[in-house]
Amino acid sequence: MGAVRLTGVRKLYGTIEVIKGIDLTVAAGELVVFVGPSGCGKSTLLRMIAGLEDVDYGVVEIAGKDVTEAPPAQRGVAMVFQNYALYPHMTAYDNLAYGLRRAGMGRVEVDQRVQETAALLQITELLPRKPKAMSGGQRQRVAIGRAIVRKPEVFLFDEPLSNLDAALRVEMRSQIARLHHELAATMIFVTHDQVEAMTLADRIVVLNVGRVEQIGSPREVYHNPANLFVAGFIGSPAMNLLPATLGPNGVALLSGPVLGGPTGTGQEVTLGVRPDRLTLAPPEAAHLTGEARLIEHLGDETILHLRLPEGRALTMKLQGDVSLQIGERVHARIDMAGACLFGADGMALSSMFSKIVMSSHAPIG
Amino acid sequence: MSERRKATVGTRIGMLAYHALMLTISAVFLLPFYWMTISAYKSNAEIFSDPVTLFPDPIRWENISALLTRDDFPFVQQFLNSVFYAGTVAVLVCLSCSLAAYSFGCLRWRGRNLVFALTVCALLMPTIVTFLPVYLAWSKLGLNGTYWPLITPFLFGDAFFIFMLRQFFMGVPREVLDAARLDGASEFRIWWQIVMPQVRTPLVIAGLFATVYTWNEFFLPLIYLQDREAFPLSVGLFTFQSQRAVEWSVSMMGAFLTAIPMVLLFLFTQRLFQRGLSSTGLK
Repeated sequence: MGAVRLTGVRKLYGTIEVIKGIDLTVAAGELVVFVGPSGCGKSTLLRMIAGLEDVDYGVVEIAGKDVTEAPPAQRGVAMVFQNYALYPHMTAYDNLAYGLRRAGMGRVEVDQRVQETAALLQITELLPRKPKAMSGGQRQRVAIGRAIVRKPEVFLFDEPLSNLDAALRVEMRSQIARLHHELAATMIFVTHDQVEAMTLADRIVVLNVGRVEQIGSPREVYHNPANLFVAGFIGSPAMNLLPATLGPNGVALLSGPVLGGPTGTGQEVTLGVRPDRLTLAPPEAAHLTGEARLIEHLGDETILHLRLPEGRALTMKLQGDVSLQIGERVHARIDMAGACLFGADGMALSSMFSKIVMSSHAPIG
Repeated sequence: MSERRKATVGTRIGMLAYHALMLTISAVFLLPFYWMTISAYKSNAEIFSDPVTLFPDPIRWENISALLTRDDFPFVQQFLNSVFYAGTVAVLVCLSCSLAAYSFGCLRWRGRNLVFALTVCALLMPTIVTFLPVYLAWSKLGLNGTYWPLITPFLFGDAFFIFMLRQFFMGVPREVLDAARLDGASEFRIWWQIVMPQVRTPLVIAGLFATVYTWNEFFLPLIYLQDREAFPLSVGLFTFQSQRAVEWSVSMMGAFLTAIPMVLLFLFTQRLFQRGLSSTGLK
């Protein structure tokens, strides 16, 4: 299994730069997930690694070889697509065998490899079927099989679970995690689903408008977002971002309460608080008071959407089934552990209150 | 309830009127074909008899042998020429136009849309405008009197069929082509092994259209071919009719037998024709 190294990779469509100089190293055997909003360039970047899009500037190396100009088939990559992209007129067997035959492999060896892969993915009974006679989950298993059978240096997944229903998605997710473990394969996985990103990734790469916003382990990215974009993007419901100032007594919310922590000389900052770090409190102990606008009962937890007096929205995630009425006044207290501070430029100042120390949010390479 | 019944009765009357109108229009189109068919089995005298007979009496089956045994109308040879001409053009159209359609519909290259627009512009150019220089060119090559000038152009595609097939080729998911590229297939192999099997129906439609078009093609064979033995049926029938104007029953039998293969082709592939027409926006 090979490492992937991107150095100063850029992509332009006409005069519009969609990938703006990305430096990234994916270590051999690592599973890295690209996340970001629609149009952030995550799929384009994956296709550039695959050789399906030209690299306008920069270098792509796979397993130590410069493959920037190499055609897709000579890069040692295999890709799994969102819509499976199986050859519809071929059986599952032929879908798996096609790439091996193109590589000039003999019939006996092709058969052996296909059977091995089918056994690994438990799709042996699907081999004589054409894609139209399979369910979505079965098709995606065959598509993954087509990637595995070639024993590539790197696996690329382009939102492979998006077309599956919720239950199948969970099953396939665990199957991909198992494969990653069993094959010790280098994998790059593109998704917009944060649960997929958090559960699968060794490291997450958060992309926005063609730039890397942060690279880190799921916990790093979640607990120590590098900037306001990552703070707002990672985590569902999103992190609450509250305007505050750094005063002589610590962080002070604009609405008045002083929360302690780092001191300053009145600099404007943004305080980031995860919804699960807010708790209901008696009025005298509360930091914030708002009006309940929407209450989502999820059974084991309750998502509470408040509107603060200044018109700002606040989301709370409460354990258990909390009985509240819409329109009711709710008093919330901020649990300072895990709160984040961002400067006026939107970059993280530090995570003063967190016990988790962020290593670095600079590109790893 | 009564209002609903009224509406139903109204709808029925509307449908009856609609079908009556459609049947009348169909009859107008079918009449010449019916006239040709019955005339093929009549004697010359009966064709022009007064009052007109709507069914041949007796049915003169011998008209068939009379047609097939004539020395001045090599019908069987001309029939085979038409089969060769139409069949070859259909195969060439499927191959050359699908290759162009693959390029226009599945590949990305600089200037693609401009070249496609220019290709479609060729549709606006009537044959009559270009036939003279093209004719002179073929003359210089010494290939007049052969099928080369009629068939060779289709080796390089035809704007109408390229346009039609491109629409279908664009429907092949890009990811499937990408998957084949990752599997190590060349573009030519992707066209042949991955895309062509997926567009089989449109290809058959294009082939059918090309067959019918070529079967009925008259002008180009007329100007390029001089030998009666080399004529396709369209030109052969015309030549015979213009030289033997009085022999209406033989002419009609010739026309009838010429039309039959296309009628049968249409009957067996009616649904494909309809799909072809709706996909090209012709209907």
